[in-house]
Amino acid sequence: MSALGEFRTLRRPAGRLSAAEKREQTRDTKAAAVFLTPWLLGLFGITIGPMIASLYLAFTDYNLLQDPKFTGLDNIRRMFTDDRLAHSLQVTFTYVIVSVPLQLALALALALLLDRGVRGLSLYRSVLYLPSLLGASVAIAVLWRLVFGAEGLVNAFLSLFGVEGRGWVSEPDTALGTLIILHVWTFGAPMVIFLAGLRQIPRELYEAASTEGASRIRQLFSITLPLLSPIIFFNLVLGIIGSFQSFTQAYIVSGGTGGPSDSTLFFSLYLYQEGFTSFRMGYASALAWLLLIIIGAFTALNFWASRFWVFYND
Amino acid sequence: MTHRVRSGARAGLAAAAAGLLLAGCGVGADPVQNPELSDGEVTITFNWWGADARTQQTLDAIDLFEQEHPNIHVEPQYSDWNGYWDRMATTTAAGDMPDVSQFDQLYLASYADRGALLDLSTVANILDTSALGDKMLDAGRVDGDLYAVPTGGTTNGVIVNTTLFEQYGVPLPDTSHWTWEDMERAATRLTEASGGEVHGISPFGSDSFSLTVWARQHGGRLFDEEGKLAIDPDLLAGYWQRELDFIDSGAAPSAAQLTEKVGLPLDQSDLVTGKTAMSFIPAGQFSAYQAAAPDYDFALVNWPADSDTEPGFQYLKPSMYWAAASTSRHPAEAALLIDFLTNDTRVGELFGLDRGEPGNPAFRRAIEPTLDDSGREALAFTEAMSDEVGETPPITPAGASAIETVLARYNQEVLFGESSPREAAEAFLNELGDSINAAG
Repeated sequence: MSALGEFRTLRRPAGRLSAAEKREQTRDTKAAAVFLTPWLLGLFGITIGPMIASLYLAFTDYNLLQDPKFTGLDNIRRMFTDDRLAHSLQVTFTYVIVSVPLQLALALALALLLDRGVRGLSLYRSVLYLPSLLGASVAIAVLWRLVFGAEGLVNAFLSLFGVEGRGWVSEPDTALGTLIILHVWTFGAPMVIFLAGLRQIPRELYEAASTEGASRIRQLFSITLPLLSPIIFFNLVLGIIGSFQSFTQAYIVSGGTGGPSDSTLFFSLYLYQEGFTSFRMGYASALAWLLLIIIGAFTALNFWASRFWVFYND
Repeated sequence: MTHRVRSGARAGLAAAAAGLLLAGCGVGADPVQNPELSDGEVTITFNWWGADARTQQTLDAIDLFEQEHPNIHVEPQYSDWNGYWDRMATTTAAGDMPDVSQFDQLYLASYADRGALLDLSTVANILDTSALGDKMLDAGRVDGDLYAVPTGGTTNGVIVNTTLFEQYGVPLPDTSHWTWEDMERAATRLTEASGGEVHGISPFGSDSFSLTVWARQHGGRLFDEEGKLAIDPDLLAGYWQRELDFIDSGAAPSAAQLTEKVGLPLDQSDLVTGKTAMSFIPAGQFSAYQAAAPDYDFALVNWPADSDTEPGFQYLKPSMYWAAASTSRHPAEAALLIDFLTNDTRVGELFGLDRGEPGNPAFRRAIEPTLDDSGREALAFTEAMSDEVGETPPITPAGASAIETVLARYNQEVLFGESSPREAAEAFLNELGDSINAAG
């Protein structure tokens, strides 16, 4: 919202430039091009180029070792009869729909708590942010496997209360739950963004509300949440995009299988298995595009729905 | 988090693109007949999987090779079994397959059929395979052409932790002629005697070697000569039912406990940590288990069978192979390294039985005096079995390389009661059959 405004003021009015100014502008343009080159190389070399290649591969039978054979719409037809694809979509949707709101709610709650002026805020902020830095790493996924294993910390803790635990990561009904908890645990990144957003809300509004006798709850719903809604929206969009692409945690926790019994078969893990384990890179490419379309559709839906609940204070 | 995942996806796409660009030129190029060794400096890459002990042995063998051929530098690449084949697929797609690779029969046909491996008859001027004998070499042929040199063979066996049996005062049945019931009874008694502390047996899991032995024991086979699936769904259902029976009787740990150990390296397996007392292993790995668990005494015995089972269900499975890349720019040097690994008895002494009972008789003679107790036991077992082994079945066909992944998945469905053994068996055969047809 405010970034757009700044951008407008930065843009100089066109025309009426002196020759010296024009020369300077040309030099600026050249400098910009030089500075942008590494990024452009990256964009075309490792993003756009491979995307075009994968779009072509999506219509081929490609086993990695021989030249791809063009097969038209075969890969797309295959999707409609692929039970594991349907299953992996179900697993992924469950994961996204449960873990993203939970994570955002926890992040928002903690941000509200920290925003009330805790002593040593920067320490808390850093400590709570830490899981976000570690959460996607292989080490944490390995740790998770141990913590939620049959002889892990969770069961040791439960046994203190006489509750008999189970192999949380190795049973189909609970394995996905442990991954959802892992995702929720990485609430630090949205929390920090929420904190910054909370700082932007003018204090006078709260003062005025207090004078008028509005309760804290009332202030939360009438001032904080509406003014924070663009930030909530931003975190929601990023959270959904990110968790649709989750891979590392499921790969490590299930040993690359998506097991037990396919209960943690995330879409990207299935895509990986098709491409690199079953040598069906053509089909895997088609799946990658399907994921892109799904994420695009979700994001578009989000933007459409945002009109009804996101409040821009322009 | 999103950043990492996205960059991962990007890297994947990059690999796919690299594959697309390079697939056209590299893989399947026409090899040179009888290439000459270079006089200049040459660097070749050498790729294998295995535990730490094997890594050290192999690095030592490389040192010997480099001393003998100072102008050749061998660059080692090694990893655990998990991840080895994923990396092999990506490097091969990028036209960058290592010059020499350790191979497994699961993947041999998939790579040879698609032109990724060097036809070794083109380097017969350098690579001498005569020590191995034709029958052994047959296991390295795909459609009649030799693509890989077997290192040796191994039968399957039952490893028994005798320390645990003694500790809990459970007598072992006569394992020279034992039935599945004998095994289950002994295992159940051990579980009971330990109060559930340990379990009697770790059942088969996703291993296609034990499935093949099971099929042969029950008069069937996994694949036929044409490379099609040939196993009766009832046989496969019986295999899984056997596993369920072990779990139900308490002989084996629960499905969840078993699942938790899937894919762990050998030194973290239940057998090594003393959580279970028996399991089915390739005999060649016996020493590795014994070395990883020095507190226990292990014994190696033959599989149980039903009383009416015909002998000959065991077979000598090629434990692993050496293969060269068809894209190698130094086929002569690659062949020289394989020749060294196959024929130099110092290599045999270094490797011992780790890569199976050596196929080269000179290796066997060289290592016999150097073996420790567990090595002698493994060798004695394999020699005793040599009277019992039958014909070696055809190797895993192209398109079926993922058999163990698929097997593991349906195995879990059965263990967690999501499918009956019979349903899972039919679904498994359909899925793998489709995959083989698509590759053919």
